[in-house]
Amino acid sequence: MKHILVIDDSPTIRVSVEFTIKKLGYQIRQAENGKDALEKIAEIQKAGDDIALCICDVNMPVMDGITFIREFRKTDKFTPVLVLTTESENEKVSAGREAGASGWIIKPFQPAELLKIVEKFIR
Amino acid sequence: MIRSTENRYGKTLYTLFPGDYFATGEDCILGTVTGACACVCLYDNGRRLGGMGHFIVPGMIGTEGIFADDIATQGITSMEYLIGEIVKLGGDRKYLKAKLFGVARLNSRLSDMEGVIKSNIRFLKEYFSLERIPVETEDIGGMNRRQVLFYPTAGTAMRRFQRRNDDASEFVRIEQEYIDTMFRNKPRYGKVYLFE
Ligand SMILES: [Mg+2]
Repeated sequence: MKHILVIDDSPTIRVSVEFTIKKLGYQIRQAENGKDALEKIAEIQKAGDDIALCICDVNMPVMDGITFIREFRKTDKFTPVLVLTTESENEKVSAGREAGASGWIIKPFQPAELLKIVEKFIR
Repeated sequence: MIRSTENRYGKTLYTLFPGDYFATGEDCILGTVTGACACVCLYDNGRRLGGMGHFIVPGMIGTEGIFADDIATQGITSMEYLIGEIVKLGGDRKYLKAKLFGVARLNSRLSDMEGVIKSNIRFLKEYFSLERIPVETEDIGGMNRRQVLFYPTAGTAMRRFQRRNDDASEFVRIEQEYIDTMFRNKPRYGKVYLFE
């Protein structure tokens, strides 16, 4: 079973992203911050399943998105991580890229476009 | 937004204009005047910080949930900007409480004002319910412009109705311009950068 992990502190955003990409037929899991995401990933892997892709917010309590990507990339160099955030400053985008993000999408996202990007990365 | 230290309140006053959002842990006052727009005040009492956002959802929301609606998305994003600032200061939406003001039936230039007002009220109700953020004050609707003062670290708010539009003529003009721009440019989406 392949999973897509949606990481955002906003339940509304998580539901909205899930609603947009659920037609891809992947198992969608939600996490509310970076730490929660790392725990969910460990759980999924322990069950013998794979993560196909992460969609990750930046501004979250407990562990922010950039810190999450750095932690995640210590052990996983390949699984795509798409950042989905309101942050648009060049320095933030570069920090995300350097941490190992695969893409940076600024909110609000266009549903059809997000779906296309996710499809491209999980192919 | 304008910051002023010389005022009758004895604290720094940040005056927000339509489209503005601001969060702080400073012992200060956030103030605005709102007509058809929503004024959302949020605070995290334990951490003594809070913020205010002044925005409108530019149009009619469809019958599906706000999470599946292009117009409502614009409102969700306004809230994301405000809560994002609170999170950057160390806040957590799990501990936020909300006070809501505005959304008065005031904008005669909108072709379907009643529908837009209803959509904005529905947006606020659905959003705060999805986010599980308790709404302590819901002072919305009606026919009057409101002046709102909010103490972000204490979470207290004061509201005064403005009976005449010329009591806040500058705000009336700026809010009209903001609403016109929002309706002209909807829906707007963010940029995408792909690195791979
Ligand atoms: Mg966030």
